[in-house]
Amino acid sequence: MKKIWLPTLALFTSITLAACGGGEDSENSNAEGNSSGDGNWEPEQSLEFVAPSGAGGGWDTTARMAAEGFEEQDIMDQGIGVVNKEGGGGAVGWSYIAGKAENPHHLFVASPPLLLIPLNGQSEYGHEDFTPIANMISDYGAFAVREDAPWDDLNDLFEDMKDSPEDITVIGESSPGSMDHIQFVKIAKEAGVDPQSVKYVSAQDGSTMTNLLNGNADVYSTGVTETVEQVRAGEIKVLGVTAEERLEGDVVEDFPTATEQGIDETFVNWRGFFGPPGMTDEQITYYEEKFKELNDSEFWDETRDKYAWNELYMDSEEYAEFLEDEKESMQELLDEVNVEEE
Amino acid sequence: MGSIEGILSGVQLAFSIEGILFVFLGVLAGTLIGMMPGLGPISAIAIMIPLTYNMDPTVALVLMAGVYYGAVFGGSTSSILLNAPGISGTVATSFDGYPMAQRGEAGKALAVAAIASFFGGTVSVILLMLFAPVLSSVAIVFGPPEYFALMVLGLTAISSLSDGSTVKALISAVLGIMAVTIGIDSQTGTTRFTFNNPNLLEGIDFLVVALGLFALAEVCALIINRNQTSKDRKSLGSLKLSKNDMKDMSGPMGRQSILGFILGVLPGAGATIASFIGYITEKKLAKKPEEFGKGAVRGVAAPETANNAATSGAFVPLLSLGIPGSGTTAVLLGALLVLDIQPGPLLMSEQPQLFWGVIVSMYVGNLFLLILNLPLIPYIAKILAIPRPLLISLVIMFSMIGVYSISFNTFDLYLLVIFGVIGYLMRLFKFPPAPFILAFILGGMMEESFRQAMTMSNNDLSIFINKPIALGMLIAAFLSFTVPIWQGYRSNKKNSA
Amino acid sequence: MLKPVHRKISLLLIALAIFYLYLAYQLPSFSNSVINASTMPKILGFGLIALSLFLFFTPEQETKEEKEKRHIPKADLIKIAGVVLMILAYIFFLERLGFILVSFLFIYFCSYFLGYTKHSINFLVSILFPAILYSAFTMLLGISLPSGIIPF
Repeated sequence: MKKIWLPTLALFTSITLAACGGGEDSENSNAEGNSSGDGNWEPEQSLEFVAPSGAGGGWDTTARMAAEGFEEQDIMDQGIGVVNKEGGGGAVGWSYIAGKAENPHHLFVASPPLLLIPLNGQSEYGHEDFTPIANMISDYGAFAVREDAPWDDLNDLFEDMKDSPEDITVIGESSPGSMDHIQFVKIAKEAGVDPQSVKYVSAQDGSTMTNLLNGNADVYSTGVTETVEQVRAGEIKVLGVTAEERLEGDVVEDFPTATEQGIDETFVNWRGFFGPPGMTDEQITYYEEKFKELNDSEFWDETRDKYAWNELYMDSEEYAEFLEDEKESMQELLDEVNVEEE
Repeated sequence: MGSIEGILSGVQLAFSIEGILFVFLGVLAGTLIGMMPGLGPISAIAIMIPLTYNMDPTVALVLMAGVYYGAVFGGSTSSILLNAPGISGTVATSFDGYPMAQRGEAGKALAVAAIASFFGGTVSVILLMLFAPVLSSVAIVFGPPEYFALMVLGLTAISSLSDGSTVKALISAVLGIMAVTIGIDSQTGTTRFTFNNPNLLEGIDFLVVALGLFALAEVCALIINRNQTSKDRKSLGSLKLSKNDMKDMSGPMGRQSILGFILGVLPGAGATIASFIGYITEKKLAKKPEEFGKGAVRGVAAPETANNAATSGAFVPLLSLGIPGSGTTAVLLGALLVLDIQPGPLLMSEQPQLFWGVIVSMYVGNLFLLILNLPLIPYIAKILAIPRPLLISLVIMFSMIGVYSISFNTFDLYLLVIFGVIGYLMRLFKFPPAPFILAFILGGMMEESFRQAMTMSNNDLSIFINKPIALGMLIAAFLSFTVPIWQGYRSNKKNSA
Repeated sequence: MLKPVHRKISLLLIALAIFYLYLAYQLPSFSNSVINASTMPKILGFGLIALSLFLFFTPEQETKEEKEKRHIPKADLIKIAGVVLMILAYIFFLERLGFILVSFLFIYFCSYFLGYTKHSINFLVSILFPAILYSAFTMLLGISLPSGIIPF
């Protein structure tokens, strides 16, 4: 069904929220609160990390692990509850946070869809409507083909694509113009393939890998981790990943990067935390410090290993700049991909 | 040989105290959550995720699987008693289950559903054990052309879901597909028919349509008959099945447990399609098809066997390939990743205890479900003895909360009321609601797979002919649609001659 | 000519189809998509028109009895309208007043409105049901329903 639903509000959130007086009063008495005096701000109620997706996905895992880390490492005094706000590829969660303007106790996890979905006109809120706090990790895209496919590296594939793009079907989870599509187009374009000629099919019902294996699709554009099990089983091979350098880890260290194949382009699936609009400098500084501490902790190191994430910390200012650049390059790509007729 | 050792270690796990305890907790939670209006297996699994974070992965998977098929098992209750299907897999159950309950045979209908569910669940687990390793290659033969053909075949059920005018049934179906075109189009990313309303971007949720067209529309009818005396309490809760009933059930249960399992194995097809196809094949095979839709025991047994069998089937691609076949198994896969289990083609050989442990636990779980559910039926069925005015208010509130707990958005509740009104008007003017909901469920997938296939083939229709499975299903669809019409035409001619 | 009710319905459906088609023709088409977003809606729109025309020209088959069935006594219509209004009020106040309070008011007054006169039972049920449901959802299932003005 469309709205796969999962509002898993962790039990203790509701209790903690309730303990705080459960409602509007305490939520609105926020911002100025402790910011008086020496310019130090501290949260005065329990925090809420919003994953704008269902339980179990990348955003959700990041939010939950961060919450667990803050608690385990005693970095923050306040309790943290993780809340799932699913829908619209994130749009539902974003509009929820936008409605929490000036209440810095609600943060959310985001990644490139925060840029792409608004650019595709599917959300009225974009990254500029929120306060970037810190980027925590990065992930990369992978392009996989069947083990018996005629291509052995990305250049083989792109050469064939230049000649007859209509013969090669690229499949991905997200809709056209969103992440799986754009990461492929970005690399292919650098290799000289016309972005518009890429034949991309979106399969949002979990049938992407099936369609690669049964030959309905030729190339699968996805995240690195999604490919690992099938590579180990010898069913598929990964022609290239979008990282700058080789990844570390058991299977993934064998995946060649696009860069080392002479295609000078990367795609970062960054993931970090954002706050509602209108946060003060003191509030940003507070969170930056806390997230930096988490990032440097052993706990986070283990977490990165466990989920095969890579380290990519950015503070609020760097993050904002990075996002501007990213958005610009996405916009360019989208303009080339989505050509309206007439 | 290796697999026999694997099975034994699985048996050991499933029958350990921990294994039995968690499968019990899983099916108990699942069946209770499944009975709640609006909460289906997806919600049930999602609810359990945070609880399993620190559990042993195998035990957690046993628990999650229990929650999953437990929720499917319990899902039929609100369909039968209140005409309020909480998940798409139990819509077909309401076609005959609700009329049975209205006739005062609620207990019997629930018992039929429970037995059929148990049978479907158990037989499919046996099939799962025997064929899981072999079936993994079958699970991936279906691509967009095959899915398109399957959806078309499913849609031919429209002609057999109407008991009056075929034109009205078709109109109802077209309206159903129209409703599902609202929202972001998956293949281009453009928004369609949303009137710039962000609440419509995701499309209309299944539950809004199902509870509106069925439950709320039924409420209107109940309001008119609100003073009818309540049912005879004794027969309401009676579980007694006559020999004849058992005979009636055996055919559908035998066939649908196999067919349902096969459809469940196919990623993307799942319990809903299995239940609809189960319902129509049994209607076609029945000696008295006219009894279907009016409270036939077969009409309850068929979809309930099929949807539970399909649920076990869905574990084939998940456990043997690491591919989620449905929205529910995708959530389950997400939950496994959190637990550090990465299902893939090597799971069976690398972690045989986990693989077989889960499967063996499913026998135990299905048995628990039957033992749990049967004694409860007399009490659950008594819900219908509640005085009408009070029952009406409660059904309305339940439907509202079911919808609200999906989206936490009151917009969906207003939509629910609109669909309730549409549903009532459809009844008044004799437009059957079943084709609407069937088209709503299948139409979206049909359009998507058609467009995927056409993109893959570069706009060449022969992709549907070159694939034997797709072609076979399309021919079957054509025949199942035209033969009844032709027969009707011929018998008409004879009569007038 | 419009006397049989199915003709009126068919005209109404045609109007709906035309509106739907109008919107479908506004949809953008992209050069890189093989089957456009508007293709299926166009087929549906024209299909609905064709089916409605077919319906228009089918001879009336309704028996008198069936027609009678459609006639709803005025008193019942008032009841239905009343319940719909109460539902709308329920939705409107759900997030403002909270689940328990609104559900209590709804169940009590809706049952009363439909002719339930055992006030004490009604009162008990309408307070217990929402309360139990609320605690089950929030405590056991971790789904938070609007708490509203009741502070827990």
